[in-house]
Amino acid sequence: MSMLADALEHLVRGIVDHPDDVRVQLVTNRRGRTLEVHVNPEDLGKVIGRGGRTATALRTVMSGVGGRGVRVDVVDTDR
Amino acid sequence: MSETLTARNDTPDGGSEEAVVGEAGETRVRERRAETPAEESLVQEGDVAGDYLERLLDLVDYDGDIDLDVDGGRAVVSVDGGEDLERLVGSRGAVLEALQELTRLAVQQVTGSRSRLMLDVAQWRADRRNELSELGSSTAEQVHRSGESMRLQPMTPFERKIVHDAVAEVEGVHSESEGEEPRRRVVVSAE
Repeated sequence: MSMLADALEHLVRGIVDHPDDVRVQLVTNRRGRTLEVHVNPEDLGKVIGRGGRTATALRTVMSGVGGRGVRVDVVDTDR
Repeated sequence: MSETLTARNDTPDGGSEEAVVGEAGETRVRERRAETPAEESLVQEGDVAGDYLERLLDLVDYDGDIDLDVDGGRAVVSVDGGEDLERLVGSRGAVLEALQELTRLAVQQVTGSRSRLMLDVAQWRADRRNELSELGSSTAEQVHRSGESMRLQPMTPFERKIVHDAVAEVEGVHSESEGEEPRRRVVVSAE
């Protein structure tokens, strides 16, 4: 499972200005499993993309590599 | 030398990136060297894309060789290998399109300019090209015989282009696209 988190972290790091601030955490609750993507606030727009296009692409690739049924959420960090 | 590995210093992964570069020569086939500045930047696009994808393959533990080329004024990156790669293609190439999108963004992050890079995985685009080309030809011939227009199923711009090209080879018919993405489709009509 951490394989998915590592893969997602890599995909996100490659497309942002602050790769060192990228953290991906797998969270499990009653709604299922979620990969939470934390990025520098300045990079939020990049990770979400126009009309959510980039976030959708990240979800699609993750579903391909075995993360079907795992949510991908982009989370704002407070740092 | 046309190798533009210095750009690598700007990329995210810092230390681990070095190792990837070190292995690059073993797993990648470099088809040609850059001869013009434009081509050199396309070679650089391929290098950045290759690193991004190679690391992804490592992390998900898929076997794959990455081939870099420059064709028709764009960088072309092909990943070929084991059956696992089908997962990077997905239903109707959806995962492949998404991965191409992310790879272009990763390239843009390093080069600072938009990339038109083409990604293929497990020869999917190549196979799809043949299928669509046949569909275009057979549809054109059918329309030519019957005189009645035919509307094809919605396709991506990449797919429609191939169909249009195949239809253009047949006399007495023409094609155009109608509708809005992602439901845009090719219509073939008699002239």
